[in-house]
Amino acid sequence: MTDTRTQRYFEDVEAGEELPGVAYPLTVYRLVMAAGANRDFNSIHHNTEYARGTGAKEMYANTSFLLGVWERCVRDWIGPAGTIRGIHGFRMRSFNYVGDTVRVRASVEDTRVEDGAGVVEIAIRCENSSGVSVGPGTVEVTLPRRGEEQA
Amino acid sequence: MTTTRTEDWKAEWQPVIDAVGQDFSSGETVFGADPVERGAIRRYLEPLEFDCALHTDPEAARAAGFDDVTMPYTGVVAWTIPPLWRPGEVLFDSDDRDAQPVQTPINNQDMPLGPRTTGFFGTDIDIDFLRPVVAGERIGRRGNRLLSCAPKETSVGRGAFLKWESDVVTESGEVVARIRIGTYAYVPKNETEASDD
Repeated sequence: MTDTRTQRYFEDVEAGEELPGVAYPLTVYRLVMAAGANRDFNSIHHNTEYARGTGAKEMYANTSFLLGVWERCVRDWIGPAGTIRGIHGFRMRSFNYVGDTVRVRASVEDTRVEDGAGVVEIAIRCENSSGVSVGPGTVEVTLPRRGEEQA
Repeated sequence: MTTTRTEDWKAEWQPVIDAVGQDFSSGETVFGADPVERGAIRRYLEPLEFDCALHTDPEAARAAGFDDVTMPYTGVVAWTIPPLWRPGEVLFDSDDRDAQPVQTPINNQDMPLGPRTTGFFGTDIDIDFLRPVVAGERIGRRGNRLLSCAPKETSVGRGAFLKWESDVVTESGEVVARIRIGTYAYVPKNETEASDD
């Protein structure tokens, strides 16, 4: 969860630091919830027979859900005052099938000051029982700087 | 014979390849079905187990400088999907277990070129966010430029990887995100095999 009582600052961050991982057991129930919530009603994501008819092994997690797991992992770490400037390299390498667990793993790749803003590049990916399933990619975020707090 | 058939199915994609760079939109912004609303944000968070006060607590959001709770950044996909049904339309014309809607925005049926495909899924996304979207705003997609088309046979069938680019804009036309989406549009393997027989 995103801890709103404390806030991570740019000065607290070092390259190589790992973000806490997040795990999502993928159940039919969750995939149906996800479709209803993000409005990707493609039957391939909630209907076994249809998914198999299209060549997949089973129903699998949709793109919006997987984008969301990246965002949730990052937001939990950057706190409410952080911002997300971009998601890049988000690529589906393999399907995240129902019955598997998808895990989000991320770490700080780089930090820099850009036009006065503290920018952090986060390397991120999803893994399931078959290995890397989404990414690897990056999420570019900004964090508040301690000097800004004093201003 | 195999070579000829291989060439045949790929040749069907040539008109799409030739159209790379073309904007397939109508020129108008296609808005999502609804404005961003607190309840829909809450539902978006549920399957993600996403706990962040910016998205759930109006007071916390206001303390952070927003007028109301904010949409998760990745909601630029969900909140720009048009309605699946409108008054006067028929949603399903069959009671077949796996029947698909008569019309749906979640497919590639708007593509006027290339072969007819029934399989479709997203493969990759790059997004640049310019600012968060706040509850009460409505967003849509402007433009749908084809960036690339690469025919390829995969384990699920024969088709093509397509890359599209759009701006996500508010009702006033302000750009809040820029999005590039890759999709794979294909004929499922069982249909391909039936066709080859």
